[in-house]
Amino acid sequence: MSWTIHHSKSEEYASQAEVALKQGDAERAAKLYQSAAEEEGTALTKLDTSKVRTLGITTISAASLWFKAHNLRQAERVAFQWLATDFLPDFAIDQLQTILQSIWNEKIYRQSGIEFMKGEVLVSVGGGEVVTGGAPLHLILRKVDEVRSFFYRTIEMLLNLPFRRHGSPSSDIQEQFRPWLLQAPPGSYQFAVRVQKPAQMSLFREATPEVEEITRKFLKIVEDAAKETHEDLESTVPNPEYRETFLKLSRNLAPTGKSFDRLEIKSATDMEARPIVFSPTSRQAISKTLREIKRPSEEKMQLEEEQVSGVLRALHLDQDWLEVSFPGTDRENIRISHTGDVIDDLVGPMVNHRVIVDVALRPDGKRLFRDIQSEE
Amino acid sequence: MTIPLLPLNDLAERHHGLTPALAESYLEAARVCLDWHHEPPQEFTLKNRASEQQVLVEWEPPDELCQGAWANKDDATRDGAYACALAATELSLGLLAVRRAETRTGADYYVAPIDRQTGDLENCLRLEVSGTSLDTYEVHRRLMAKVRQAKEGKSNLPALAIVVGFQVKLISMQSVEGTS
Repeated sequence: MSWTIHHSKSEEYASQAEVALKQGDAERAAKLYQSAAEEEGTALTKLDTSKVRTLGITTISAASLWFKAHNLRQAERVAFQWLATDFLPDFAIDQLQTILQSIWNEKIYRQSGIEFMKGEVLVSVGGGEVVTGGAPLHLILRKVDEVRSFFYRTIEMLLNLPFRRHGSPSSDIQEQFRPWLLQAPPGSYQFAVRVQKPAQMSLFREATPEVEEITRKFLKIVEDAAKETHEDLESTVPNPEYRETFLKLSRNLAPTGKSFDRLEIKSATDMEARPIVFSPTSRQAISKTLREIKRPSEEKMQLEEEQVSGVLRALHLDQDWLEVSFPGTDRENIRISHTGDVIDDLVGPMVNHRVIVDVALRPDGKRLFRDIQSEE
Repeated sequence: MTIPLLPLNDLAERHHGLTPALAESYLEAARVCLDWHHEPPQEFTLKNRASEQQVLVEWEPPDELCQGAWANKDDATRDGAYACALAATELSLGLLAVRRAETRTGADYYVAPIDRQTGDLENCLRLEVSGTSLDTYEVHRRLMAKVRQAKEGKSNLPALAIVVGFQVKLISMQSVEGTS
């Protein structure tokens, strides 16, 4: 029998597997994928190695089918077997290496026994001090922390929890929904984040299926926050407190243009999805929106506005103040009061980093807090 | 002049890379995607580098059961785009899906002219399909992205990139020569 016959049989099984998957029958799909992989493997043995393109495509297909049949060992074997030859074209070598990376990731997940929620987010920073595959550690640590805060806020909103003004997420939330930092393909500099599936999903039965879509919701909020108008964000995040916090978290993510000038967030699992791009202009646009969200009490107060640029040296939110210092100058530290609206997870990562604080000056010289953002 | 009909129905009878069940599933997805934005029938623009033509798209509105089965918008858009893209290549270029090949995350379809179907994949074109419910800019951006990927990367094969814009009633395509 020829390559054509075996490949056709493989196609037939694979199509049936796809239909089974659509019907939610994963077990039957895996069996069908295995039959498809076996046929594709046989097809490979019937192929004239001078048919380079057909050989490349069939090899990728065979390795992928074993992968989809959850037989990682066999998928790895097919990839190694053909990568060891000189017959494969470049495109096939490249794709087989990608499949191998997926196999190894999958093996690590299986060995660890960790189950993840749907979807994966890819965060990429570029420009400025960032080089391909490398970035200043403090910058990446900040971004990881900010993304984690964003995820926890998304989870709390999906669970309809009261808005958290102080402190970290509850220990229940932190224990049940653990974000993981995963290796990502090299880019300007990028990392991937996934959320571990709660061990006790039943605790959140009332919030399912929404809570199973954490990653999708996270991406939607980020996308809407990055838009020039915020009508979409109002519909995605109806609660004004959550909405304002998401805007501030998004502004923190956006670059100032000093240490990096571009941050992209996209789905790692939906390759067609449009990346959400933050530039220094996005930061300005979000700041403008935030300034427009004035509370009635603020509108009544006609005080002189000032912007303070320095290092956030101290913070005491329970006593309602923060302190900014000015290293390298003779200027004394200044204390800014009325920080009542400051949210812990927004301002916490800024301690000991350069910040810009918007303040209102009272006639007695006292500075009242209005807004704070990172200057790095 | 009569506007030609986009041949969405019975794809598997002509496209041998599809099974009847899968073709039916893609058609269902297309009906759902079309129904998000329009009522049948509608005129779509079928555009490639050299030409532009109007085609008539007719579909049976999906019932609630069908809509429920395709509640996942991403899956519906991807599969609905496959149905529209295959019908468009058939109508506009006389190319039919002859082979299916698995990729890590999905499947590629290979297309060839009706009268030049051979026993291997040496002369087939890989079909690169994308669907969207966003605006014309997004259709264009995706098409350019696909073309750029194919030109820059080493993972290339001669390909035909097609993006289906369900809301803006646009099917845009461009052929891409591979470097391998």
